[in-house]
Parts: sequence; C-alpha cells; structure tokens
Amino acid sequence: MKTETVAMILAGGQGSRLGKLTKQIAKPAVPFGGNYRIIDFALSNCANSGISDVGVVTQYQPLVLNRHVGNGSSWGLNRHNGGATILQPYSSVEGEKFFKGTAHAVFQNIAFIEEKNPDYVVILSGDHIYKMDYEKMLDYHKARAASLTVGVMPVPWDEASRFGVMNTDRTDRIIEFQEKPDKPKSNLASMGIYIFNWPRLKQYLEDNQSKNRQMEDFGHHVIPAYLRNSEAIYAYSFEGYWKDVGTIESLWSANMEFLEPNHELNIRNTDWRIYSNNPNTTPQFFTKTAKIKDSMITDGCYIAGEIDHSIISNNVKVGKGSVIKDSFVMPNAVIGENVRIDKAIIGEGAHIYDGAEVVGTESEIAVIGYQEEVGGYSDEV
Amino acid sequence: MKYKIASILNLVEYEDKLKPLTNRRPVASLPFACRYRLIDFPFSSLYNAQAVSAALFISGSGHSLYDHIRSGSSWGLDSVAGGGVFTHSQVLLKSEANQDYKTGPYYYDDHYKYVSKAKADYVVIMGSSILSNVQLESVLNYHMDKECDVTVVYKKVKRSELRDDTIYTSLRVNGNEEELVEGIDWVASQPDPESVLALNMRMMVINKKLFLDYLFTAREKTQDISVDNLIQYTLDFDNQVSGFEYTGYLKVIEDIKSYYEANMDMLNEDNFNSLFYKSDPVRTRSKNSGPTYYGEDAVVENSQFANDCEIFGSVKNSLFFRKVQLAKGSHVEDSIIMQDAYIEEDVYLKHVILDKHVYVQRGARLEGTAEEPIVVAKDSVVDAEGNIVEG
Repeated sequence: MKTETVAMILAGGQGSRLGKLTKQIAKPAVPFGGNYRIIDFALSNCANSGISDVGVVTQYQPLVLNRHVGNGSSWGLNRHNGGATILQPYSSVEGEKFFKGTAHAVFQNIAFIEEKNPDYVVILSGDHIYKMDYEKMLDYHKARAASLTVGVMPVPWDEASRFGVMNTDRTDRIIEFQEKPDKPKSNLASMGIYIFNWPRLKQYLEDNQSKNRQMEDFGHHVIPAYLRNSEAIYAYSFEGYWKDVGTIESLWSANMEFLEPNHELNIRNTDWRIYSNNPNTTPQFFTKTAKIKDSMITDGCYIAGEIDHSIISNNVKVGKGSVIKDSFVMPNAVIGENVRIDKAIIGEGAHIYDGAEVVGTESEIAVIGYQEEVGGYSDEV
Repeated sequence: MKYKIASILNLVEYEDKLKPLTNRRPVASLPFACRYRLIDFPFSSLYNAQAVSAALFISGSGHSLYDHIRSGSSWGLDSVAGGGVFTHSQVLLKSEANQDYKTGPYYYDDHYKYVSKAKADYVVIMGSSILSNVQLESVLNYHMDKECDVTVVYKKVKRSELRDDTIYTSLRVNGNEEELVEGIDWVASQPDPESVLALNMRMMVINKKLFLDYLFTAREKTQDISVDNLIQYTLDFDNQVSGFEYTGYLKVIEDIKSYYEANMDMLNEDNFNSLFYKSDPVRTRSKNSGPTYYGEDAVVENSQFANDCEIFGSVKNSLFFRKVQLAKGSHVEDSIIMQDAYIEEDVYLKHVILDKHVYVQRGARLEGTAEEPIVVAKDSVVDAEGNIVEG
C-alpha cells in the first residue's frame, strides 16, 4: 500500500518561556491535564485522523520525550507499515545536522520522508493542545488542488499581532502573510499546521539549500517564498479549542480551563480519544482526612490533604493537613504535611517538605521545577 | 535470563460460590481493587521474576481473560525470545472425550508440549484464586539454593479465615529449619476456628524433569495433576517437598463474602501497602484513560477510584472502577462499583457490589450487609424502587 501522507511532528523546541519547567525536558514532553504530555494531542490527532506514518523530530533534552513516544504503541502507531519514528539530529560526512529551524528540521530528514515517498506531508507542532481531524484538512487541500494549506484560526483582533497572520481573498486563498504584524490586516492566525505537496516542498528545500539561500523556517522563509512564486496556498479555518501553552501563565490557565466539566476539548469523548503512555500504577487512594472539590485526580495518587480546584497528576502524594488550591501538580511530586500550595505549578518529581508554602498570584504563578525541592532541612542556621 | 522457568497457570478454579460475578468470567478475571483482575497478581509475580512465557489452562468462556491478557505484553510475555501466552481451553477436550476430561488420555498433551519445548529448568505452577503478591524470585532462589525437588508456598492463617466447607488444603510442615512438608490435609476437616494452619497456596516450583515424569505417571494412571496431587506424588515417591513461607497479604477468594472483604481490605493502608508497595509492583493491562473529575459538592472519604470517573455525589469506604458516573445527591458507602456504572441522582447504596455496566435509576436504594452484600449482575438496571432487572 502506498503511503499517501506522512506527518512530521516538530518536537525539538525548548520552550524557553516555560522557564524551569523545560530545563530538563523538552516542551512537548511537559505534563498536561493530569495524565497527558503536551505532545499526546498531536500524536492522538494523527492516530485518530488515520495517519500512521509519523516522524517525531526531537532535539532539545529528548530523554523523557523519546521514552514517552517510544515506538508509538501507546497511540496505536506501532504498525507493520509505518509507525512512529523518532528523528534526532545526526552527523554525516557533510557535518553535524543539528536543526536550525522548522523547515531545516524537515530538510535534514528528507531521507526519512523519501523512504515513504508520500504525496503529502503534514507538518505539525508538538506543543499545542487541541483536537483536530487532519483528514478533513487534507480533503480540503485536495479539493482546492493546493500546493500548501495552512491551518488557521480566528483570534481576537487585539491579539492578532502576536501571531503569524494570513490575509486571504474571498476563496480563502492566502495572498499575504504577516509575521507578528503591528497592524494586522486579518485575524486569521497560523496554527503552525501545514499540509504540503511533498514533491514541491522537497524541491524548495533542496534547491534553496544548494543555492545557500535561507530556507530554515516555514513562517519566515518557506511561506514567503511560496507566496513570491504564486503557489496555490489556502487557509483552512479551524474552529474549536486550540491553545499554545508556551508560557507559565498559559500552561496554568489551560489546566484550570481543563477542569471545567463542560470544557470544549471533551476529553472523555471516546470518539476522539487523547491517548497517552499510561503508567502502570495503583488506584487513587483517599484517606479519611482527604477533602476534594472541583478537581481532577489520576491513578497512583495518595491524597490525605485538601484539594480545591486543582489537577493532581499520576503518582502524586499529598500529606495530611496540606491544602492545594488553583494549582497544577505534575506527576510523581511528593507534597508533605501541612503544606500550602496556591496558584502554582509543581514540577514533575518535585518534593515539597512539611510546612512549606508555595503561593503565587493570578498574574505571577508560582513555579517549582522538575525534581526541585522546597523546604525541609536547610543549611542556614 | 536469570531464571529459566516455564509457568503453568491452572485457572480451572472453584467459582460456584462467586456467582453471579463468575457467570461469564473465570475467577482469574474477577475485577479487583479498582483497576486490576486477579490474574494480574500471578502474572506480575512472573513478570518480576523475568519469566518469558506462560501456559494457561481454562474452562468455560475465556473472553474476559483474552480481552485482558491480549498479547501478554503488559507482563513482558510477548518477547520474540521464547515468549508467549499459550492458552488451552479444556472445554473441547471435555466434550470430545465425553468422560472425566481431566483424566482422559489427551489431557496432558498440552502441558507436555509446552513444558518440554520451553527453555526451562523449572516449572512454576500457580492459580489466581488465592490473592497474594509472592516474590517468585525468592521462592526460586530458595528452591535452587536448597536443591529441592519441589517447593511449595504456604502462609500461616487462622482456620476461621476460610469457609467451613472450604476446598483448600493445608500442609504439615515440620518445625525444623528444613521446613519439609510431611503431609497435606483438607482444611475443612479441621474444625477448630482458632487453630493456625499452613495454608497450601497451590503455588509450586518443581524441577522440569520431575514434572515431566509426573505427567507420564499421571497419564498412565489417569490421575489428576493439581498442586495438591503433585505434593502427594512427591511424598509417595519419597522425594522431598520443601515449604516456603509467605508472610504478605493473602486472601482466599472463594465466595462473595471473601471477594467483598478482599476489596474492602484494600481501604486499609497496611493491607494496601503490603499488596501493592512493599513487594514488587503489580502490573495490569494499561488502558487509555483520562483523570477522574470530582465536582463542587463531591465528598470522598477513605475510598479508592480508578481514572475516568465523574463524581458529583458522596462516597465513603468504597472502591470505584473506571468510567463510573455518580450524580449529585447520591451516596455510596461500603460498596464496590465496577466499570461503566451510571448512578443517577438521589441514590443510596450501602454494602452493594455493582458488576460492570449497571444503571441505577434516580432515587433507588439498595442496602445489603457486610456479611451478605447485594450483588447486582453485569448489565442490570436498578429501578427507582430498588428492583434489580437483569440485562
């Protein structure tokens, strides 16, 4: 069977605006919503859209991410044909092939895509929270005989200048692209989702590389080049929940939104499951002293304290007398007794000792990093 | 591979007193502690001892078991290097032979094929109805160090922990350091409820060659090769049976009451930790799931939940499996609620076991006792008056 579509998930970014949360792990591997990592959304969307050939391009701090993705079996991507393949920078006779940008990462992996020889390649970012049927977008792409289709979504006009903005004509053809413009002419923001006709994209990447022209980034180089050459570029409008959790505040607020029982993502809908690499662990244990409201708890947790409007991820222990409010606690964190946590993100495997306080505000969320320790014995006397 | 073992899981187990829970499933696939099935415990023992294959012998419908085990990958039983789960249903043999199937001439062909082909020095035989978490590695080390012929695992329990008419047996273990087993007795024939006996956990390590010898003998003499009989053969042939004492959590699942108690035992932290934390981890088939949501008015006290539930009511001393919906104004206490239950508003359940996929209508009340919990069979509807309509 011929491979029609290959998806490339760009998961190499650091996500530096997430500060200490991404010091040891790449942004797509950052935990979300109790028992997910951010990349689960893109991977699950691929699986649910019937795309079984998925390249996951990793680079920055890839240990946790690579282990999480594995051979893709958690998403049903471990097929005889296709499957998930982790693509890391490598060196060759031409030198080291570290990825300099989104398009460059695809250029460096031309061999992987060529092996499948697909008609289309879907470029995705590994760090967005959304549910989307890429097959519908592909149908749209085919119907328009497009060379490139860009996933866009309408954003409030006052926020448009934070995005790459697509200016379209009445047929949804993109006629102009503005990267983070001061005066946006449109409110259609690029979601960083592209469907390219593969042979054409390959030609662009290879030709420009051989001519030493810059072709490293889709937004900055590839789309402008396509526009200059009057390629058929269409905008595919997505409606639904979509969130870039690129900052501490947005990660926190996306998790708080996730708590709403009628959240647009509808995470319990089995027609479009978000799969993850679920740990083998025990049930959730609430002791006699536990109190809980408006919260999400996951398997492996032991709760003896009070949880209010918070998400507690896998295998977290919360001691007696501790109060956690408006917070997101990542997997394997240990919270001692009589701890107060409010408007905070507690990193994976962090340890908050008895009596400590981690308190933020809505505008400045408190953050404890990956395996960071707070309180307990101190060197100071 | 550290231990070369072949493993036989004897899952033709006593299930009559566990009905209706065992109407359509063997004891081995009884759900336990929110996210497990009983088979997970022997399988995890095998996993932790790095076993690569297992032969299962079942009777009746194996659907729930196959569905749970799949390729065996959750327990590392799918390796290309000698791995595999070999399931043998005795149902067909039973009908073909039209006689006592266990003693028919072909009954042991599958046992023989599996064990003789396995790259193994030892055979481990286990069941699933005695809930425990045995560190098989220690048993194997003991067996090898002492160069035993047969090692059998036991636990000292009070007679009163088992049914009066229990079908389980106890071992006569000599008090010396050798821990040699001198005989085997029916527990039911020992009346004193306060007496402490060495419960035969029907878990055995036996040298492969000896096991194959026994298979031949059993076939010739058309005898049964339960662990009990294997112990007796060994004693009859003047070989040594060594005892290995297990001291962790144990419960014999032999009727609804013991099944209920075993689940309730998990709400006690000591028992929970003994079974799940102090020994090796227990693995189960991991399913894709989202977190459980607890609503604004939810109250949970001394209870356990699996993922994917939505809880708006109050819950006390209970265990909830996956995908259970509990509407507000409802109260569940001292109960076991299995997967996919949907409980409407203003329901009151106490001392109840809801099997999978039960729908409880608004306003229903059901109250059993700790001695006799009410069991609602799979797919039933409990109407507003509390009548159980089977699905």
